[in-house]
Amino acid sequence: MTMSNLQQLSSIRDALKAELNNSQPNMSKCAQMLTQLKIGLTEIGAYIPQGEQVDQNALLLARDVLETGAYYSVRVKDIAAFERYISQLNTFYFDYALIIVSNTRSILPQSEQMYPLTGLNLLRLLSQNRLSEFHTALEVIDPEQLHNNPYIKQAVDLEQFLMEGSYNKVWRNRSKVKGEEFLVFYNILIDTIRHEIANCSEKAYDALPIQDAATLLFMKNMEEVLNFAQERNWRVNPAEQKIYFANTDDEVTEIPQEQIIKQTLAYARELERIV
Amino acid sequence: MSKEQEKSENVAAMEVEESEEAKQERLQQEATALAIADIKNNFVFLERAVDTIESRFTTRVLRTTTSIRKRLTPYILSQVINEYYADDTRKNDLLRYLGEQQDVAMKDTAADESKKEIPRLPEIDIYLHLLVMIYLLDNQKFEQGMELSKTTVQEVETLNRRTMDQLTAKAYFYYVRYHELTDKLAEIRPILLAAQRTATLRRDDDTQATLLNLLLRNYFHYNLYEQADKLVSKSTFPENASNNQAARYAYYLGRIRALQLDYTAAHTQLLQAIRKAPQNTATAGFQQTAYKFFIIVQLLMGEIPERSIFRQPVLRKALLPYLHITQAVRVGDLNKFQEGLAKYGANFKRDKTYTLILRLRHNVIKTGIRMISLSYSRISLRDICIKLHLDGEEDAEFIVAKSIKDGVIDAVLDHDGGYMRSKETADVYSTNEPQSAFHQRISFCLNLHNESIKAMRFPLNAHRKELDNVQEALERERELAQEIAEGDLDDDDDMGDF
Repeated sequence: MTMSNLQQLSSIRDALKAELNNSQPNMSKCAQMLTQLKIGLTEIGAYIPQGEQVDQNALLLARDVLETGAYYSVRVKDIAAFERYISQLNTFYFDYALIIVSNTRSILPQSEQMYPLTGLNLLRLLSQNRLSEFHTALEVIDPEQLHNNPYIKQAVDLEQFLMEGSYNKVWRNRSKVKGEEFLVFYNILIDTIRHEIANCSEKAYDALPIQDAATLLFMKNMEEVLNFAQERNWRVNPAEQKIYFANTDDEVTEIPQEQIIKQTLAYARELERIV
Repeated sequence: MSKEQEKSENVAAMEVEESEEAKQERLQQEATALAIADIKNNFVFLERAVDTIESRFTTRVLRTTTSIRKRLTPYILSQVINEYYADDTRKNDLLRYLGEQQDVAMKDTAADESKKEIPRLPEIDIYLHLLVMIYLLDNQKFEQGMELSKTTVQEVETLNRRTMDQLTAKAYFYYVRYHELTDKLAEIRPILLAAQRTATLRRDDDTQATLLNLLLRNYFHYNLYEQADKLVSKSTFPENASNNQAARYAYYLGRIRALQLDYTAAHTQLLQAIRKAPQNTATAGFQQTAYKFFIIVQLLMGEIPERSIFRQPVLRKALLPYLHITQAVRVGDLNKFQEGLAKYGANFKRDKTYTLILRLRHNVIKTGIRMISLSYSRISLRDICIKLHLDGEEDAEFIVAKSIKDGVIDAVLDHDGGYMRSKETADVYSTNEPQSAFHQRISFCLNLHNESIKAMRFPLNAHRKELDNVQEALERERELAQEIAEGDLDDDDDMGDF
């Protein structure tokens, strides 16, 4: 019975893939097929396999569906769904690949989509500024792949540029990005960076000519800059064509009386106990 | 008579001849006897531990393991086992692991079989199992050891005795060790997690601590830091755990935090791990590894580790690659950093510090910028570019801007002029910094005092004796008082009579 189910499901999957590869895919139809597939897979228990009785074909199909789902979610810009797909896929990538059940045979062969999707996920974490998760995710990856795999290397390099502050390198690399899915996150990333640069500029400059601000922020025209300036509450002086940053540098160091009193009393109490 | 004389001479001659070998044999025999005596002595301690419910005695027993471990032979073990167990299957089971025939020594013990009526303690039983496990481990008999450890762990699970705690922890430790050596760690994760739950429910601090560390080690083995982090956040490390386990836990925690970019927490944890670990050559491996991470974390925090760390004899060789990196970061030389990375890359990958070190790259740049900011009051971006080997002025501008935002330097950029102007450095003593530093130190001292008071031990019920004495004294006093009072009355009466 499961065999026929499997065949049925894989035919739906093939249809889904074909639809997605279409030049103008019908997204709502894809969503429908995905739901159908997911329900089917849950019914045959491929998502949560119990014990050691796992059907390799079912697992492979489940993984394939999840991968397609992940790409689909990026296409429709549903990032939360993408995150869910990835966390489901991680089980397939790492746990099933690692556990060697009684004899020396790993359950699943490595997926071709593993590294592209991992790279995509890394890029997502970067674009959402979730650096600690980014690094945790990086640790699981084979160190050899860090420098050799183009998908992974791309993310690793980006992180390095971001940490250093070489923002224009990030901007320049945009043209080298492979794959449509990557561009989705790249654009989010650029937006994150723009705000990051704005934060830096506020601290680093007293004032900045509007023209220069535009190049710094990777913006094409004045209007964009002015809108952005308004968004961040910058003072624009139209006569001088300059942006002034409100520097809140007048910190007055107060004496933390209450804290000192508390500490001193605590010392007195402790000393009393000793003596 | 002459015959007899001859005989005795012969014997004497033989004795002389054999004396060299005999001496050796005698020494060996003595050593064997001593080892057996030591193990038996431990039985006494274990019994006492059960009697008084004091974990202290068990600790003492386990502490002697290292010295006993070196002397273990199948003969010694089978002697002890034969003597301890009455004739039953358990004995045969254990002896089978040693490859010794059980009936060899049977004859010796057959005589005093009657003595063995004393009820056997499971503590001693498990202790013997542990010794056999250790022996098998040292002799590379992993398959057999794994089998034994499996049965021992199953047995230990059914025993819910507080005096077993430390032994249970040890049993699990060897159980995992065998699986690690045969590369089957992933398989036993569910078992360990279940055991960890049981230990927590039983408030078995030792096993809990050991299992937590074993689980973390398990996750780290496969680089599953996310799971490790989740485990840490969902469980509490027992406060009363032994120092060694606490040191290990701190080390694992430090590594997780370092990965998550929480360097301050990582620094505290690693420092604690280093301080808690025993400072002798036996723990050289742990010290080296902990120091490696400690140095990297310190560098990532923008601090430079002390030179003296690299000079310690235990650490010097192991830390050489890290010294190279440290020097590069200290002077802010990117080329030297890349050179070190290329040269020692394999070392770092083996130590699993590679990704952390990759993060250091921007620290090298930051240090460079800080040095420049300290030495120049005004410098053009082009010069910064040349000094730090950056790719272009645009890059330099962004990098400097980020450093200003991150608080690495206190400066202002002038875009029109294309230069960076450093601000005056503020006096630290005008801030609250010294105050908080003092507070930290004072509270450390006070804590130390409190902790040491807490650590003092008082034998259980020892005050009873004194209490009894006091009770007696009180009674005597009361009697005396009564006597006096009665006496007075008597006296009065007497008087009255008069």
